[in-house]
Amino acid sequence: MRKLYDFELSANCYKCRLLMSILGLDFEIVPVDFYPGFEHKTEEFKKINPLNHIPVLDDNGYLIRDAHAILVYLATKYDASHTWYPIMNPELLGETASWLLFAEGTTNTASAARLHINLGYDFNLPVVQAGAHKLFRFLDEHLWFRSRAGIEWVCNAGHPTIADIALFPDVMLAEEGGISLFEYPSLRLWTDRVKRIPNFIVMGGIFPASPARN
Amino acid sequence: MSDLRELNWYPLVNSSDLPYRHPYRSKLLGHELVIWRADDGFVNVWLDRCLHRGMRLSRGLINGNEIKCQYHGWHYSNRSGGCTYIPAHPIDSPAQTLSCETFKSIEKYGLVWSGISPRGLVPDLSIESGESIVNLRSMFMRAPASDTTSALMEYEFSPKLKFFVQPLDELTSIVHGLVDNSQNSGDVEDILHYHNDQLVKIRTKVEFSALARPVRVNGLANTKTSDPTTKPASPQFSQSSRLKVKVSRKWITATDIVGVELSPIDFESLPTFLPGAHIDLVLPNGLARQYSLTNGPGELGTYRIGIKREPQSSGGSLFIHDVLDEGDVVEISMPRNNFPLRQDSSRTILIAGGIGVTPLLAMSQVLAKQNLHYELHYFAQSHEHLAFGEITATLENNFISHLGLSPMETMQTIRSVLGAHNTSENVYICGPKPMLDGARDIAQSLEWPDNSVHFEYFKNSNVIHSDSSFIVDLARSALSLTVESGQTILQTLRNNGVAVPSSCEQGACGTCLVRVLEGTPDHQDVYLNESERQRGDQILTCVSRALSEKLTLDI
Repeated sequence: MRKLYDFELSANCYKCRLLMSILGLDFEIVPVDFYPGFEHKTEEFKKINPLNHIPVLDDNGYLIRDAHAILVYLATKYDASHTWYPIMNPELLGETASWLLFAEGTTNTASAARLHINLGYDFNLPVVQAGAHKLFRFLDEHLWFRSRAGIEWVCNAGHPTIADIALFPDVMLAEEGGISLFEYPSLRLWTDRVKRIPNFIVMGGIFPASPARN
Repeated sequence: MSDLRELNWYPLVNSSDLPYRHPYRSKLLGHELVIWRADDGFVNVWLDRCLHRGMRLSRGLINGNEIKCQYHGWHYSNRSGGCTYIPAHPIDSPAQTLSCETFKSIEKYGLVWSGISPRGLVPDLSIESGESIVNLRSMFMRAPASDTTSALMEYEFSPKLKFFVQPLDELTSIVHGLVDNSQNSGDVEDILHYHNDQLVKIRTKVEFSALARPVRVNGLANTKTSDPTTKPASPQFSQSSRLKVKVSRKWITATDIVGVELSPIDFESLPTFLPGAHIDLVLPNGLARQYSLTNGPGELGTYRIGIKREPQSSGGSLFIHDVLDEGDVVEISMPRNNFPLRQDSSRTILIAGGIGVTPLLAMSQVLAKQNLHYELHYFAQSHEHLAFGEITATLENNFISHLGLSPMETMQTIRSVLGAHNTSENVYICGPKPMLDGARDIAQSLEWPDNSVHFEYFKNSNVIHSDSSFIVDLARSALSLTVESGQTILQTLRNNGVAVPSSCEQGACGTCLVRVLEGTPDHQDVYLNESERQRGDQILTCVSRALSEKLTLDI
């Protein structure tokens, strides 16, 4: 059985749930009391992840930690079309990898600001907020020029990749971290497109988009 | 305090950055705005606030020609901003005064232009509005419009380059730009990247100096419209308005049925309507006739109605068929809705007989836009008798026609269409009296509850008895009046200066409905259903009377 050690309000856990839903994979949720119980910090949890963080995927006994690594694993193993993680296309694969690293940046800034405000984590709020704005400015410009060239996704392809999945929750939930998306219309337009991917699922704070015009 | 800048037109967004069905968040001179393009192409610029709890509408959902608040699901119509549905009150029609504050909008030079109360025309840029315009990427500046404008002065201008500064509030602004590339003097990609890079440099500079300066906020508040006590603007139309409209199109839509399209003369758009609503069309002889609107949600550019030739009628339909012509001007009432549509049914069944299809077409389109489960069953003599094929074609498999059936076959079909009642299913029936009466009986025999069976008669063919005489007490007006035999309650009220809205004045449409506090009504209408009649707490004042000596009314 496939199990996800999960916290409902975690952006990183949601990335894994979202991709599994899109790929049509069944999975069980093992709720981890991330807050206020800090269950992931316990000795017990160390057996599942020695680094004491979530998410962790247990795929029939194969344990893998870290959201972006889980996305890479799932897409490589279960997406027969190899579009979500394009291992057959080295250029696109390289680009996807660089945007995954970029998403580490948004996680460390935008998601950190949200953790600080919502769950009282100790981050330097103005610093992480400013960091997020810097990345969002870059991404907004990137997406505007992409869209001008007829490409609707983060990577230069006619289909979404796990880079879109990795970035999406950090952007959508940024306002909970006091980072307004007002300045980033291209980011907001792109989130509509992600929400219209078949089998999209929501989480607290992320609503569906209007259905597309036929 | 008046602000002269409010009189100007400003570009708010590139047309190409405003796709269908995306609520685009913006701001102008401190006013939070939502900009959204409806399926009919119209660009709405509204205050970004739901009238209910102040939620940003830019977080809402767009179902084609309506925007729906994310919080409690209030629906607002394209163009007018009028509220069309409140999920918590599914059987009530929202008050006509519930209307979002809207601003004018124009698309020109590849930009959406608007203003708080803009005067005159969008500035003439002396360039062709068309394909050769390259709209630059709009650049957000964390700096006041004045700083942004002076920084732009350093730019190397050419006559073919235009910049516009949108003042968001006291602290921020957006630069919109365009290049006239009619001589094809540059590669579009190069133009876009070159100016984007230049604007980024200017942004770095202007934001740095804005940061270095102490913040001063005066005059223009940072955000003006967050005050929830601000009253929404009074709507353009009042309930009793009569509107002059032009017959912009008249066509034969089926055997003996003409379609008439009515266009506004003095206004850009017509008033908000609800699915199932009708208008009164005033004929040259002064008589008013009721016709249901066939429009889909948010279609306020024109109203479209269908009229069947009725040789036995008092002449309304014959006049429209034989005399009324394209280009003629007629008067109509505001749309009224006494046939409200629930939008929370698990299944909605719409049953139309002949011309009774018109209100059900409006309903079908609302349900279709929201992907709700519904069926439109249209009973007619033959294929040639099916009206408004252009609308029914859009309903795909939800549209089912039943042609040439005998009365008995019609009833059998209705019985199988209805089936046993399941919770939260509703049926709406409109058609000739025999069919309607039969359908209601069938629904009753299948144990459909009264409040799930909704109907609209064309006319009241009951024989009206008006020989009784009785007293009406008006509880809220502290008046006691005698209704003489031969007079209606409605006439008596009007003769004594009490205003009550009315429309058909024959007990069919429900406009003159009043609540009864005491006494027993003598119902003679075809509007109320059996359980409403038995409750005896409401009355149609145009035909119904009293069985008791006195009626106390809640007016």
